[in-house]
Amino acid sequence: MSGNYKSVFDIIGPVMVGPSSSHTAGAVAIGHVAHKLFSQKITKITVDYYESFAQTHRGHGTDFAIVAGILGMGTADLRVSQAVKIAREGGIKVKFIEHRTKSPIHHPNTAIITLENENKKIQIAGCSIGGGTIEIRGLKLDGHELSPKGPLPMVLCWIKDGQQELIEQRLQADDVVIKRTSQSVKAEHCLLEVELDKKPNQDALAEIAQLTHELVCL
Amino acid sequence: MYQTVASLLKKCDELNLPIWELMVRTEMNFERASRKAVWDKMKHQLHVMQKAAKRGASGEGVHSPTGLTGGDAVKMRKYREQGLGLSGDDVLLAVQNALATNEVNAAMGVICATPTAGSSGTIPGVLFSIKEKLDLTEEQMIQFLFTASAFGLVTANSAMIAGAVGGCQAEVGSASAMAAAAAVEVCGGTPKQASEAFAMALSNLLGLVCDPVAGLVEIPCVKRNVAGAVNALACSDMALAGIENKIPADEVIGAMRRIGEKMPMQLRETGLGGLATTPTGLKMKIKIFGEEV
Repeated sequence: MSGNYKSVFDIIGPVMVGPSSSHTAGAVAIGHVAHKLFSQKITKITVDYYESFAQTHRGHGTDFAIVAGILGMGTADLRVSQAVKIAREGGIKVKFIEHRTKSPIHHPNTAIITLENENKKIQIAGCSIGGGTIEIRGLKLDGHELSPKGPLPMVLCWIKDGQQELIEQRLQADDVVIKRTSQSVKAEHCLLEVELDKKPNQDALAEIAQLTHELVCL
Repeated sequence: MYQTVASLLKKCDELNLPIWELMVRTEMNFERASRKAVWDKMKHQLHVMQKAAKRGASGEGVHSPTGLTGGDAVKMRKYREQGLGLSGDDVLLAVQNALATNEVNAAMGVICATPTAGSSGTIPGVLFSIKEKLDLTEEQMIQFLFTASAFGLVTANSAMIAGAVGGCQAEVGSASAMAAAAAVEVCGGTPKQASEAFAMALSNLLGLVCDPVAGLVEIPCVKRNVAGAVNALACSDMALAGIENKIPADEVIGAMRRIGEKMPMQLRETGLGGLATTPTGLKMKIKIFGEEV
């Protein structure tokens, strides 16, 4: 059951708009991961809910919370409750689907977010483990498919095959521990995912960004 | 990071530090942040908590969009003013602040999750009551929150703090135990006494289910925070009186985890059991969401 809480502010925090840290603030956080990974104009948002999320998303404001995160809002943003309206007024199609089956990523608070436009489609499988803390257990990006263990922080970089070692060395140089890595290789492109015990410092990220096609720190 | 209460106490003993100071240093290391940055962030959390507790008990109070909750903190404030309470006024102030904070949460106002939004009234309930009683400084209140977070981190990492995973024992139970421990330390108790208060408070709430009406964080959540706050005050007093729990804190956390794992899905924040499926609870659900749910 062991959770993934690292900061005192995972426990005394987040500062957020109510009513539920797992179903509202955690949902904003899962949406925010999708926001960071899409980084283009969105035309369609689909959210698939499982278990507790499927049963209680309406009452907990999970719908607007996830969309708020996708639009880049924070947990304490007073526009959070208006997010679905704001998205639809902006021309984005928004759809929520309740599933009666068990979560494919094995957690009662599961949301799978699909973001699309005419030339890009991504999917993020996230779960909200309590108190606003989340895990990301599935990623489908640019034809790559990865199943991280879940805990954040996590660095995703699009690299040329063979650069993995260099990047891992740079991350570890600042007393960061690599918990797990995985990669997906398509043609000469490689998506590398590195799970860490704490956030890498800004200098390390800037140096690694020089080596990579694209880098996202979740 | 500390995986057990025992290792936390051992470290405090080795370094001869209070729990709150150990947590400030742990956080500085984790966030690569200055002491001031970490301290100021906790000060910000405190200010959010103060604002929410005040808002919920001021004027006409706050009311949730569904109308299920709201206005009770104001009723308690007015009742206190009459001075007729059966409990002492310190206890009633804790009741008021717990109600006020959770009413703001249910009304989708801004709160600080401690450790969760559903249990966000328990810690302010305790903290702002003893602030009045002991005339705590802002610095002491911030120390209180660091101590509470130390126990919360152990609980979250070795058991759970989400109602959907382990029931309300994991939310209000954890919050109550965190508050009890922090109250002991801020009152001058030892880390060991703080851990006894934690163990007693959590033991008392083991088995508490999460059965919200219509799946909303309103009924019974708002008032369960009152139970959490009052239980915390009683357990802090017991620990300060030298009473021990007999079962150590880490074993109580283990018991909570095992109980949570055995708890049926209907009683873990799905709104499919307990108070949620009483005739009145079901009527409220239909009124809010319509027949089809």
